[in-house]
Amino acid sequence: MSHEHARRRGASRRQPVRQIMALGRGTLDMIDALGRAGLFLMLSCLGIPSREGIRLWLRQMHFVGVMSLAIVLVSGLFIGMVLALQGYTILVDFGAEDALGQMVALSLLRELAPVVSALLFAGRAGSALTAEIGLMKATEQLTSMEMIGVDPLRRVIAPRLWAGFVSLPLLTIGFSVVGIWGGYLVGVEWLGVFEGSYWSNMQGSVGFVADIGNGLIKSLVFAMVVTWIAVFQGYDLIPTSEGISRATTRTVVYSSLAILGLDFVLTAMMFGEIG
Amino acid sequence: MDDSLLVDVEGLHFSRGEKEIFRGLDLQVPRGKITAIMGPSGTGKTTLLKLIGGQLYPDAGRVRIAGQDVHRLPRRTLFRLRRRMGMLFQSGALFSDLSVYENVAFPLRVHTDLPEAMIRDIVLMKLEAVGLRGARALMPSELSGGMLRRVALARAIALDPELILYDEPFVGQDPISMGVLVQLIKTVNQALGLTAVVVSHDIKETLSIADYVYVISDGQVMAHGTPATLNVDQDDRVRQFIHGEPDGPVPFHYPAPDYFTDIMTGRASS
Ligand SMILES: Nc1ncnc2c1ncn2[C@@H]1O[C@H](COP(=O)(O)OP(=O)(O)O)[C@@H](O)[C@H]1O
Ligand SMILES: [Mg+2]
Repeated sequence: MSHEHARRRGASRRQPVRQIMALGRGTLDMIDALGRAGLFLMLSCLGIPSREGIRLWLRQMHFVGVMSLAIVLVSGLFIGMVLALQGYTILVDFGAEDALGQMVALSLLRELAPVVSALLFAGRAGSALTAEIGLMKATEQLTSMEMIGVDPLRRVIAPRLWAGFVSLPLLTIGFSVVGIWGGYLVGVEWLGVFEGSYWSNMQGSVGFVADIGNGLIKSLVFAMVVTWIAVFQGYDLIPTSEGISRATTRTVVYSSLAILGLDFVLTAMMFGEIG
Repeated sequence: MDDSLLVDVEGLHFSRGEKEIFRGLDLQVPRGKITAIMGPSGTGKTTLLKLIGGQLYPDAGRVRIAGQDVHRLPRRTLFRLRRRMGMLFQSGALFSDLSVYENVAFPLRVHTDLPEAMIRDIVLMKLEAVGLRGARALMPSELSGGMLRRVALARAIALDPELILYDEPFVGQDPISMGVLVQLIKTVNQALGLTAVVVSHDIKETLSIADYVYVISDGQVMAHGTPATLNVDQDDRVRQFIHGEPDGPVPFHYPAPDYFTDIMTGRASS
């Protein structure tokens, strides 16, 4: 009994040491992974695209961008409609329902369009990218490409990265446009806000650089981060079915956290001094 | 260096993490012959092919192909050397977004500036050689396992390589496509004068086509010889492997505590 007791005490004394060791190892692993991911990004993105490269990129624009179009537009419509509905009930108390257009447009352009589009993009296109590249790895397509003498980073990864970088900002623009139209449907057509004031208030308050520009910068940052995470998770995974499913989940989780965290940082940098 | 050797592996050491996969592996592949490398699953046969192809780097030792140290070559020269090798992967590894025709044409498009008409002739010739000229418009997802491997073989020989590496060509094949593949590997070797390395654990098929066999186990060569000499080898471990006996020096049981004690303690994990 006392022997057992002593052993337990010994173990508990070692516990903190082991935790520190685990922390250290975790940190090293993370730095290692970040290093690999950074190198991976550089090796894939640098270099002059060939004609073949542009053809491959267009193909990926279709898979990555066009395939996410429907879900992004439908979500944009609903979000615009909900914004108008919620905004109206608040604004009407102050007799300020004429400012509805301004409220809908600013919320969408600055915040909701970039963030929600990016979250949807991570779920729809990001997870598909991870799974697709992971499956190519598991079926040795990437290795065999390398054996044939073609660098998979240039041929498989680069077109997908560029397609993600370009398509998410475009999707975000689509989201905003449809959202503003949804706000119009609910605000003007249904709740009876004066049409002229919906549009003119919006025109008067939305700044081209401050609002549209900043919103696009946000979505460009999200596009890079989400696509990078998705593609790297696919390229780096353990090539088994379990490995693929884990990596797909990681893509969605990491992307969502990165989007929301970066959104706060970017918002503080862009609009922090306004308030 | 001996000119009749195409591949020369000397003192190869390689580990994955903590796990030592090779510790001092030596083997030679003579030109124009079929050399088989056999061993149980997980011994590192696929890893060995990747080391030979220059995709993985050894911790020590070297691999020379036609006298050139694969792992010392600059990237450009390595890619030129790979043009002279074909590799047939375990899963076929056809590009899933390209048709059968485009898969076979892929290495030609990458490495040559041949006009389309010439590419077409070569592709059809290679597909004819594996009996799948009629399947050229299909996508890889529409092919059976045996057909996948035959298309992959056509792609691997598209550039007329000197050396072809086969990774488990017979795994998961029905008896007919197994026979077809055995025949094809032999034909490709004899008709085109190719040097072949066949990695496999299918003993009967492999022994039937190989000129020389290496059996690897525990990261080293356990035995080597012609199929005839290995068949009568008296070493227990070789016999167990070649004749497929379930228990022997390589135990059937994963290391475990005594069966009786284990049952009596009644714990699920110990
Ligand atoms: N990418 C990898 N990462 C880590 N371990 C691996 C990887 N590929 C293979 N291994 C391990 O290396 C060992 C040898 O694998 P492999 O060469 O595929 O064996 P074989 O082809 O003989 O069945 C196995 O134990 C396997 O788990
Ligand atoms: Mg293998």
